[in-house]
Amino acid sequence: MSDIFNLGLITTIIRISTPLAFAALGGLLTFKAGILNIAMDGFMLVAAFVAITIANLTGSLVWAVFAAVAGAMLLAFLFGYFNLKFRADIFIAGIAIGMLASGLTAVLLKGLLGEAGVFASNKIPSFPQIRIPFVESVPVLSQIVSGHTVLVYLAYLLTPVISFVIYRTKWGLRVRAVGENPDATASMGINVFRLKMQTVVLSGFFCGLGGAYLSLDYVSLFSRDMTSDRGLIALAAIFFAQGDQLRTVAVTLLFGAAQALSVRLQQSAGIAPQLLQVIPYVVTMIALIIVGVQVWSRRKRVAAFE
Amino acid sequence: MSDPQNTTIAAAALRRSTGSILRTIGLEIARPAAAVALALVIGAVVIRVMGDDPFLAYSTLFSGAFSGTANIVATLQNTTPLLFTGLAVGFAFRSNVANIGVEGQMLFGALAAAIVGYYVRGLPGFIHLPLAVAAAMLAGAIWAFIPAILKSKLRINELVVCLMLNPIALLLTGWISSYPLKAPGPTNKTYDILPTAQFHQFSDLAQFNTGFILAVVLLVLFWLIENRTKKGYEWKLIGQNPVFARYGGINVQSSIVQVFLVSGMIAGLAGAEQALGVYRAFYNGFSPGYGFDGIAVAMLAKFNPLATAYSALLLGALNSGGIVMQMMTSVTRDLIKVLEAVIILLLAADFAIGSRRRVRRERRGLPSRKPEGRIHP
Repeated sequence: MSDIFNLGLITTIIRISTPLAFAALGGLLTFKAGILNIAMDGFMLVAAFVAITIANLTGSLVWAVFAAVAGAMLLAFLFGYFNLKFRADIFIAGIAIGMLASGLTAVLLKGLLGEAGVFASNKIPSFPQIRIPFVESVPVLSQIVSGHTVLVYLAYLLTPVISFVIYRTKWGLRVRAVGENPDATASMGINVFRLKMQTVVLSGFFCGLGGAYLSLDYVSLFSRDMTSDRGLIALAAIFFAQGDQLRTVAVTLLFGAAQALSVRLQQSAGIAPQLLQVIPYVVTMIALIIVGVQVWSRRKRVAAFE
Repeated sequence: MSDPQNTTIAAAALRRSTGSILRTIGLEIARPAAAVALALVIGAVVIRVMGDDPFLAYSTLFSGAFSGTANIVATLQNTTPLLFTGLAVGFAFRSNVANIGVEGQMLFGALAAAIVGYYVRGLPGFIHLPLAVAAAMLAGAIWAFIPAILKSKLRINELVVCLMLNPIALLLTGWISSYPLKAPGPTNKTYDILPTAQFHQFSDLAQFNTGFILAVVLLVLFWLIENRTKKGYEWKLIGQNPVFARYGGINVQSSIVQVFLVSGMIAGLAGAEQALGVYRAFYNGFSPGYGFDGIAVAMLAKFNPLATAYSALLLGALNSGGIVMQMMTSVTRDLIKVLEAVIILLLAADFAIGSRRRVRRERRGLPSRKPEGRIHP
């Protein structure tokens, strides 16, 4: 058992959950604004591709991350514009954006980088590990908290920031108001379109960071459809936590743990990979049903009262 | 052509001359055609950016789809699953039931067909094949029942549920075909089905089979159901105007479940055709996303069963020609996915907003934008 449950597992969970956490932060903003953002997978995939292409071209991680974020935000803008301006159904638009991202990155992978399935290069630099001075001397804590890369810290440090923005700023209040009742918000003279658009583009920003992390940091390569439903799982985490940001990040860590365990259990216990990979989806289904039953019984009580 | 107000437009159109009816039909075709054309232009730009020749890529694509018997047969073979999935998606969408879980329903249909096709023995072909097909329909319906019951009883958004059920179906069928029911050998597949459960393949050129005829019959059947039967009218009405449908005495919630089940059955048939006609077994991950292609097919056809034949042929030809294009040029067949995505985006959008058409419509007292929360184009 010690080769499955050890300190290394916690480090793995933190690293594996980072892209989920990024996507969840972006998804939370759109969730609060009343937008079901199923296009996040596409944003991340495009970001991952742009990141590796630019890193290969310039050898600069900073430029690569910038370009990745810009690419994801551009796609998010497209998604938002079609949904909010042209009234395309959010799910249809989301599926189309996902297909676009998947197809386009695959075409360009062959056309620009000359690879059919996986692209890796020794020209791509890696992120330096950050050693935290005081923590470094504490035995267990040093292994868990210290020695990650800048994007990992960013993901978890942005969580309270987003929490603050949503609950303690005027902008956050407006976002929540739009999510609760767009018509009432519009009657207050607030530009609903612009506000929703801002949350969508910001979700692109976070997914951009997540995508860049995925291809430059988590692994140093790009492969077709490498996001493997992470955007969807992040959305599932939000649903599961019912839109509470701290709980959302906790759930992403839980899903990350399931993923990390699935890799290890597969190696040592011989459990079929599919049965472990299916866990986040099944958990989400159960969560959806629980929430649905709660809402249903509340409605029933209200109906009985009236 | 979906919201109740449009019925008034249709009535007004009838009152006008035949010429304007023809013009209306022209507009009906014009928009999908424009979407396809624009998608091809965007695809050409992408090819150009990569430093390849768009003209060469597209001509290879076209000849790969249509030149010579072998290519035409391959195109028809690629069209067949899209006929089923396009119909399954379109049938549901028309009732405003957003069944995007067709992919998962198809996978379970294929698995059920393969299981009955191998494990049920000693039956003559005229019983065994229908039995396997029925099993596929049942499996598709069962998988569709989950989002159906959650939507109708608990009002849980069927799209979110379907989004989760698709990967679950992929992983579960993948597990079943890789572990408990795996046939010996290097590939993850079930045992080959018995000859008595096979759809007949027309030629040795490709796996084009009698499932195609079943699909075409189904399209006509559904056109008749939707336009000539009471049940079909009810199913259509709950999509067009659920409030009116309820006042008209239709049980909307149970109709939603019915639509989901029927859509799931059609999706199951798509799986049956693949398992019994093309592969003669269940192969793990055999589908390149036929269920999602079905969304593009259905939207291009504006959810009309007969028009589905054309749009499925178009996307089938693109898929089939794309394989040749990938072999002959440096452009991969993933380009087809890009084209599909652009087509879906363009057809889902309402560009009339802010246009002269809106001003005209508002002057006539008609709504200028489509109601929110509808999937109709």
